[in-house]
Amino acid sequence: MYAAILKKDLKRKKTMNIILLIFITLAVTFIASSVSNVISVTTALDSFFEKAGVPDYWLCTSGEEEADRLERFIESKNLKMFRQDLLQIEPKNVLINGKEFDYSNTVTLSDIKHTVNLFDKNNKKITKVNDGEIYVTAEIYSRFDLHEGDNIEIKVNGATKKFTLMGSTKDALFASPIMGMTRLLISTSDYKAMTGHDDVVIQSIGVFTDDVEKFTEDLFEGDFNTIFSNPQSTIKTTYIMDMVNAAVVLIVSICLILISLVILRFTIQFTMSEEFREIGVMKAIGIASRKIRSLYLVKYLAISIVGGGAGLVASIPFGRMLIENVSQNIIIPETENYLINIFCAVLVIGIVFLFGYLCTRRINKVTPMDALRSGERGIRYKRKGLLRLSRTRLTAVPFMALNDILSSFRRFGIMMVIFTLGVLLVIVPVNTINTLQSDKLVSLFSMASADHVLNRELMLNNDNKHKTEVENKLRDVKEMLEEKGMKADVFMEMMFRMNISLGEKKCSSLAFQGVGDVTADQYTYLEGSAPENKHEVGISRVIADKIGADIGDTVEINVGNEARKYTVTALFQTMNNMGEGIRFYQNEDLDYQYAAGSFATQIKYTDEPDNKELEHRKETLKTLFPEYKIYTLGEYLSYMMGDVAGQIQGTKQLILGVVICINLLVTVLMVKSFITKEKGQIGMMKAIGFRDTKLMLWQTMRIGIVMVVSVLIGTVLSAPISKLTAGQVFKIMGASTVEFDIVPLEVYVIYPLVILSTTILAAFLTARQLKKISASETSNIE
Amino acid sequence: MGNVLEVKDLCKTYIINKRQNNVLKNVNFTVHDGEMVAVMGPSGSGKSTLLYTVSGMDDITAGKVFFGGRDMSGLSEKELADMRLDEMGFIFQQMYMLKNLTVLDNIILPACQSKKNKAGKKEKVQYGQDLMRKLGIIEVADNDINEVSGGQLQRACICRSLMNHPRMIFADEPTGALNRTSSDEVMQELMKINDEGTTVMLVTHDVKVAAKCTRVMYIVDGSIKGEYKIGRCENAGQLRERERILNNWLMELGW
Repeated sequence: MYAAILKKDLKRKKTMNIILLIFITLAVTFIASSVSNVISVTTALDSFFEKAGVPDYWLCTSGEEEADRLERFIESKNLKMFRQDLLQIEPKNVLINGKEFDYSNTVTLSDIKHTVNLFDKNNKKITKVNDGEIYVTAEIYSRFDLHEGDNIEIKVNGATKKFTLMGSTKDALFASPIMGMTRLLISTSDYKAMTGHDDVVIQSIGVFTDDVEKFTEDLFEGDFNTIFSNPQSTIKTTYIMDMVNAAVVLIVSICLILISLVILRFTIQFTMSEEFREIGVMKAIGIASRKIRSLYLVKYLAISIVGGGAGLVASIPFGRMLIENVSQNIIIPETENYLINIFCAVLVIGIVFLFGYLCTRRINKVTPMDALRSGERGIRYKRKGLLRLSRTRLTAVPFMALNDILSSFRRFGIMMVIFTLGVLLVIVPVNTINTLQSDKLVSLFSMASADHVLNRELMLNNDNKHKTEVENKLRDVKEMLEEKGMKADVFMEMMFRMNISLGEKKCSSLAFQGVGDVTADQYTYLEGSAPENKHEVGISRVIADKIGADIGDTVEINVGNEARKYTVTALFQTMNNMGEGIRFYQNEDLDYQYAAGSFATQIKYTDEPDNKELEHRKETLKTLFPEYKIYTLGEYLSYMMGDVAGQIQGTKQLILGVVICINLLVTVLMVKSFITKEKGQIGMMKAIGFRDTKLMLWQTMRIGIVMVVSVLIGTVLSAPISKLTAGQVFKIMGASTVEFDIVPLEVYVIYPLVILSTTILAAFLTARQLKKISASETSNIE
Repeated sequence: MGNVLEVKDLCKTYIINKRQNNVLKNVNFTVHDGEMVAVMGPSGSGKSTLLYTVSGMDDITAGKVFFGGRDMSGLSEKELADMRLDEMGFIFQQMYMLKNLTVLDNIILPACQSKKNKAGKKEKVQYGQDLMRKLGIIEVADNDINEVSGGQLQRACICRSLMNHPRMIFADEPTGALNRTSSDEVMQELMKINDEGTTVMLVTHDVKVAAKCTRVMYIVDGSIKGEYKIGRCENAGQLRERERILNNWLMELGW
């Protein structure tokens, strides 16, 4: 008999049962894929570094003598190491399918020997590269939209060699654009054939040690000149943007889990309220509460098992889709046995059963009459309406919508929570991207403000050996600009790696000096004042913390082979090398042969041109300096970070898609549920003369009001939540105080409107379903 | 006396599990202004379907229904809705009202929705209260619908049906869920409304209710089997005699 009741129930309440089934399927899909992703992502970087055999300490130096000295030093410590030569080439000498390689970071060539393990896009270890074949990093591959089989021509030492692109590499040392260097992988014989006498070679040295701290101290004592010198932990931090993506996926996953649980509870409670009249009838004819309860629990179990199975199958491709963006540079460990997914599916089935168990607890307590009154307990009815139509100026439809929300606030509150989470999920990444693409990060990159930037990769040690050479170059640019009627300050940042100490505490840091028409007071400082004399410096907060220095302290900095004393006059924050930085006075004598590199040439117009004129001047610069790439400062910063914003943009679009899909699903299913439950009321309103459009408007307006409130809460919370979440990422990178670039039009208008309009449209289209309800169905009312 | 409702060869057919079910078969009748017509018949005879089809709440399979001279089959869904809102009033057996609204708000709802009713909100509220006062339920105006008795609720439904000054009221077993006292009170109100000029058509099983009407139609298997004009009930004393006459007539028809 129970089987017959169950069968009838499943058939008769098809809509509500299908809605519950869909929600359970979604919950399993979201939860299983999300938990699986959380586990994969949080362990991914460690497992990738282990697979790749990344050294505990990695150094790069330019010059064979210095590299030999380093090698002898490491050997004297009895440490395992590898040493590999990287041939530096100019991007303009690389042609991809006939087009110049438009790349600003350092480009190097190497073979596969004496380096970390490299992997192809399918996570298989690359063991051999044949002659004429070439691989590029995954970042370059996707950024320049390359394809297997593309032709790459490289000109070195007057000779040109053609290569066929075989694919992309997951290169643990050069994967992140923040490293400022990339590597093209070729065969050993091709590499040998391309090297010559006057090559610019960077020596890459990897050291394996159990005591990184001790090794760092010893290295410092050795006073070596390096371009890059950092422990594995610092290399890991260059993956911060991959981790940002991973964090975004994690946040999405956690939100999806929360949303799923909230929806599940709502649906079960909602469907249970539908059942109460029948429960009353069964109780009235003498069926025991225990039996009635078991009947519904069996039904929920059956639905949740079917939904769990379907969700389990869907969770695998959905999880892969979410994680795809993260895994471009690193190997995400794949769980082939899908045990996590199965566990999650079982968990959700258990949760549904538990929710069902808790909701059906009321069956024991209520009398048959209470149940017949749809669960209302005797004479203690809950007051329903909060507003009074007779006392408001609202017309009937908006009044009913608003009154329904206030009268059933718990039901609509759940929707509000879901929609608010969705709005935040979209706006926080938008704020982060806008900040990354804005000029607001200028001060965080140890740069002074400028209107335009001329960029051309400079070969290390091949240029700028003397400060006067750099100054002359800048003067030439200035004169050329003046000839075209553009009065401007022209300047550049020179970058060094120096050792700094205060007492016993020492560390290595990047150091900067502005050359040309720029003074140290044009940079932003957190505390103190800009260095105004040769013996004064500003240091970054991270360096200050490392050596325990503060404003007024005297620190020692190794400039070339000379240890000089400087007074700290200012503290600043920077995102270069995870917060490391020293700012020299502009006229301090520094030996440019130790320069580790330079930023691009910056142009700051002194005649204050308007935006239109700036656009015009950018075009003029393109013709005046054809060998340079012309950027605005924001564009240049975005470029320097390796199009991080572009990567997040992809994730952002994915999230926007996911959020819209969730909103659509929640809206469609909830409106359907409401219509099913309110069928009788709708019929009655039709009977007394309400038009279909008015009733559709009533249904839509309820969702619309909830959505508007959610959007308002979401947008108001977006700024503090951005600081709480994305702000932490900037903090890890060395910038403790970042002013977010909030674009009001985008954040407060466009995105909320996109979410709002799609959700409201979905509600309206779903509400069309009530057209099928006839006025004569009034008899279905409870 | 003009015709409010004219029904010609009305047919209504349902297809259930591929089987044809002719609920109404070539029904013809006319309701004149000011009449109070009762439709009687056994269960499943098509009484309620007749009420729903002639009031535009349900579509018809064949035939014509004219309300106030307008062919309802030629009207769009919107026009039908407007007609129900402005020219008709409905009372159901169950006291269907919106749960989230108070009794007064439920009553004034059609007026707030009507474009034809040009009165201001204050006047509409006032009129709603006047109706409630007239029907003796003003004390429950601000109550939720689950805080009032069935009789009070049914009188509230009558108030709601009168809000837009309808030309005709359709009532589907308006006393079916009420006890005798409440039933008498409700019928008294309907008779008063009818006396004031509003045409009423109601479906009932109760001879006592039908005896208060001016005309009774008896429907069996979707066809009108007979019609009896008993005229206006002038005083309560006539009621017993009217009931007896009606009972006899119904017995003749197989009641």
